[in-house]
Amino acid sequence: MKKKMIFSEFFRNNGVIMGSALMGLVGFWLIFLVILPQLSMLDYSFRFNLPPADVGTAKDVYTLSNYEHLLYGSDKTHATFNTVDLMVFVRTIIAAIMVTLFNIVLCYPLAYFLGQSKGSGLARLLVVLLIIPYWINEILRAFALRIIFGDSGLLNETLMLLHLTKEPIDFIRQDIALYAGLGYAYILLMLFPMYNVIESLDRNQIEAARDMGASWTRIHRRIVIPHAKPGIVSGATMVFMLSAGALAAPQILGGPSSLWFTQLVYQWFNDSLNWQQGAAYAIVLLISTILIVLTVMRIFKVNMGDIGK
Amino acid sequence: MSTASIIRIALFAYLAIFFSYLLGPLVVMSLTAFNSAAFPSVSPWACYTYEWFDVLFNDKHIKEGIYYSVIIGLGTVALSVSMGLAASIVLTQVWAKFRSTYYTLIIAPILVPGVVLGISTLVFWDRFGDFIRAGDGSMLDGLFHNGIFLTILGQSSFIASYCMLVFVARLQRFDPGLTEAALDLGATHTQAFRKILLPFMRPAIASASVLAFLASFENYNTTTFTIVKYKTLTTVLAQKVRLGINPSISALAFIIIMMTIILALGFETYRRNNARKEAVRLGKAKESKGFLPGFLTGNPAAIVLVLVSFVVISMIGTAQSYSPQQCKAEVLAAKKAEVAKAIKALKLKRTIKQQSDSLKGPDIFTPDPANKKGSFGGVFDPNNLTNEEPAKPEAPAANKKPASGAFGGVFDPNNLQKD
Amino acid sequence: MSSGVAVDLENVWIKFGDFVAVREANVNINGGDFFSFLGPSGCGKTTILRAVSGFLEPSDGRVLIGGNNMAGIGPNKRPTALIFQNLALFPLMKIWENISFSMEVAGASAKERRKRADELLDMIALEGQGDKLPSELSGGQKQRVAIARALCANPDVLLLDEPLSALDLKLRQHMRTELREIQQRVGITFIYITHDQGEALTMSDNVAVMKAGVIDQIDNGHEIYDRPATPFVASFVGENNVFRGKISQISGSEAVISSNRSGELRAQITPSQVGKMNVGDDAMMFVRPEALALGESDPASKTTVSAKVLNEEFEGASFSVFLEGDGGKQIKMAMPNLGQKLEGHTGETLSVHYDANNAVVMPAGELASE
Repeated sequence: MKKKMIFSEFFRNNGVIMGSALMGLVGFWLIFLVILPQLSMLDYSFRFNLPPADVGTAKDVYTLSNYEHLLYGSDKTHATFNTVDLMVFVRTIIAAIMVTLFNIVLCYPLAYFLGQSKGSGLARLLVVLLIIPYWINEILRAFALRIIFGDSGLLNETLMLLHLTKEPIDFIRQDIALYAGLGYAYILLMLFPMYNVIESLDRNQIEAARDMGASWTRIHRRIVIPHAKPGIVSGATMVFMLSAGALAAPQILGGPSSLWFTQLVYQWFNDSLNWQQGAAYAIVLLISTILIVLTVMRIFKVNMGDIGK
Repeated sequence: MSTASIIRIALFAYLAIFFSYLLGPLVVMSLTAFNSAAFPSVSPWACYTYEWFDVLFNDKHIKEGIYYSVIIGLGTVALSVSMGLAASIVLTQVWAKFRSTYYTLIIAPILVPGVVLGISTLVFWDRFGDFIRAGDGSMLDGLFHNGIFLTILGQSSFIASYCMLVFVARLQRFDPGLTEAALDLGATHTQAFRKILLPFMRPAIASASVLAFLASFENYNTTTFTIVKYKTLTTVLAQKVRLGINPSISALAFIIIMMTIILALGFETYRRNNARKEAVRLGKAKESKGFLPGFLTGNPAAIVLVLVSFVVISMIGTAQSYSPQQCKAEVLAAKKAEVAKAIKALKLKRTIKQQSDSLKGPDIFTPDPANKKGSFGGVFDPNNLTNEEPAKPEAPAANKKPASGAFGGVFDPNNLQKD
Repeated sequence: MSSGVAVDLENVWIKFGDFVAVREANVNINGGDFFSFLGPSGCGKTTILRAVSGFLEPSDGRVLIGGNNMAGIGPNKRPTALIFQNLALFPLMKIWENISFSMEVAGASAKERRKRADELLDMIALEGQGDKLPSELSGGQKQRVAIARALCANPDVLLLDEPLSALDLKLRQHMRTELREIQQRVGITFIYITHDQGEALTMSDNVAVMKAGVIDQIDNGHEIYDRPATPFVASFVGENNVFRGKISQISGSEAVISSNRSGELRAQITPSQVGKMNVGDDAMMFVRPEALALGESDPASKTTVSAKVLNEEFEGASFSVFLEGDGGKQIKMAMPNLGQKLEGHTGETLSVHYDANNAVVMPAGELASE
């Protein structure tokens, strides 16, 4: 009854044609592009990988085997854990958190500098300079780092020229390239939300605090950071989610012996053609990252409404 | 030295580090596009060359990828802009109690990993096709397994959220009284939308379209799952980069970077120019009658834009006539001499080693010179090397493209003649 | 003038969830009238206007325009045109396009529209300005464009939602006259919303005074000012001295209250309460500052109050004299500036008297907070 009233008011405000168009578009998006696909994937993750002929037959039953595989591997007795995949998972999550923290530390001073010198010529120039790499393909950016971090890349050549190292350091195998690449890939998604909130901070607040004798660290701790909190959390959320879900950077910059969790998903889909197994891994990735983000948002008391500002 | 100047120096050092981290790789990558060395590198600099652009322009995979990327980009723009606009309008009207739930729903796709979106789109439409029994090779069946269709849907599912954010920002400044005024004057809801809201949203629609197109064009994580049999620029690039890198990708990157710079400067120029016109109109600034054309005055972005365009045009001009043959021959000679020297040194070393080894006892040595890198490096355990090939990016690169590589006169004469 | 279309509200209630914005409104507006709703902000007057224009449906009751029930008819189908508080001129359209928008949506050709727009621009004395954008006009010019735009739709009823509030004082006073002139020229019904009593009293044929969703009084300006029906109306419209007390004597339309601090005072019972008040009721008596004068103390007349002069304020055309009666009772008296000097009286206790016909008494109630 109540629902009907809301809808009738909606159509009153928008007219029948516009109202239907709006409802239709939003409904199509949310139902057919977001909700049903996710549910469908969830359902898929609980099924066996059957040959097409068996789909829909008595054999097509729900199972937890895809999730068990992540925990125990192909060991049916469940005596040993699937340490390879689990390690990849843990490493992905921890590395994504580290990348996020690294980005916060690196971006905060610049966001503060840009936010507080708004309108000045230098700040405008810097913002234009920031936007340029933003629109360069993720893969090309990873490629650029690979050129630099390669065996005979610029970095190694320089180090050897300066006699800091005798032999090329294998940055790729040691995952240095990967972490640099992940930090590089989404850094602007950290910077811009931070910059936007700091820009909205009234400069007088800082002056007032300084007037009262507060030190720089105290000003940042008590005034700037609390004000910038929604932006920091918003940026951190995006960087964390995108790093944990990154595929291009690990594929291009990752060492041969260390995989990223998304690469496992990719392998199940494209190499093993086991969609069900891949869907289960994707669900694990999705749910664990969402839980981490929600926990962080709860701890820092930030709302969903702050994301994307 | 005062604290203020220390802070200043620290600030500039920090800015320098930040921007070299951000822009340095792009500059290095751009430079490698002009080095004739087969492996993208700047230091040893062999010869200044345009040959990688030729390689790039003759690469049919890249051309095909660009073609499909553009089609998918246009489809994604149409779908995600309209969905994003509708969602933002609904957001302004939705009941206060539902607003945060609704907002969470429409913002969530941004936070869902692209890999997950790609998989879920693929899985859902496959099953949707089964569900409506279109699995008989009919048109619908073809559609639900068509990479272009699936990619547009998969990308739109989250790009629409970006568009929505752009629209919400603009809508906040819209006075709903204007729509009411139009209705009050007899307009239908559709007329009020078309004549009042749409013109107001036009700048936001333009920027959302650009944003959506670029986001679609550079998307990889979702696309790699949904594209199925087709290819886009990003999937082609990822393929190439994973299999082995060569400077024609740098050439592509250089072109994209230049286009981005020109677009960014163009936009900045346009904005400044508009701001200046506005100032003139409001009488705050005088119409200048200077030596420079109007749009250049007080507009550093415009001046840089003109300079950049000039450089690009002159580059294209010289590329027609410039030939690095001479230089290449010299480099080749130098390289040959160097290789000969290295082999000599190696032989010498090996003989010494052999002698010392034979002194120690009958031990095996490595006679294969191809494996010398591995024994040179020596830091890793040999297992890794035999297991995984891509660890050595150089090896496959050199194997893949011997013909177009730095080794001089061999490269395809067609490439030069073509343009 | 009776050529216009009447607007009637029958027992209209408007609720938002649990909040009652308008309670049982019954209003009959004659065709061709200039009718104002006057009240402080948040009293529900704009809500009533939105119900008439069709942006809101009443929760209960009916809105009739020209005798036709408007239930279920959208704003774009009603014979009303609304002038918004912020005018809501379309910023991206030229002035002439703004004015002729109602014709554009009805499918008129550009030539026809331009012609009509130019006629209306002549009427509002903005000839030749049709190709400008709204942002290039001054506040008063925008105001007139908004009126022209509304009139171009040939409405039967023009609704105005505080259209003058954004203008400065001089322009506001000028626009009052102009609005009234336009109304008399076109002869259609105007419904005007305002919180400014000066606007309501100068322009309107009839005024409805509202408080917290309730219409306290509907009458012409004179009656509202001279015979307020409730303490709220008495204190909201113009300035008033209020004396609280209990009714001690009633004779016909006249009553005597025994005030708490100023003794027995005589006044007229407000017309709507004649015959309804009883001896002993809590009552309030109001007398305007300008109805007070200095005079001899005459307790038998029951129209004098003795008070001490505190200070005076000179306002050019008049003086305000602030007095303190017994028990600290604040009294304000206004006198025209005829060159007299009062300074010598400060601190003296004087006698202030009034004519009982200029004072009203009514049951005690809530005063306007301002």
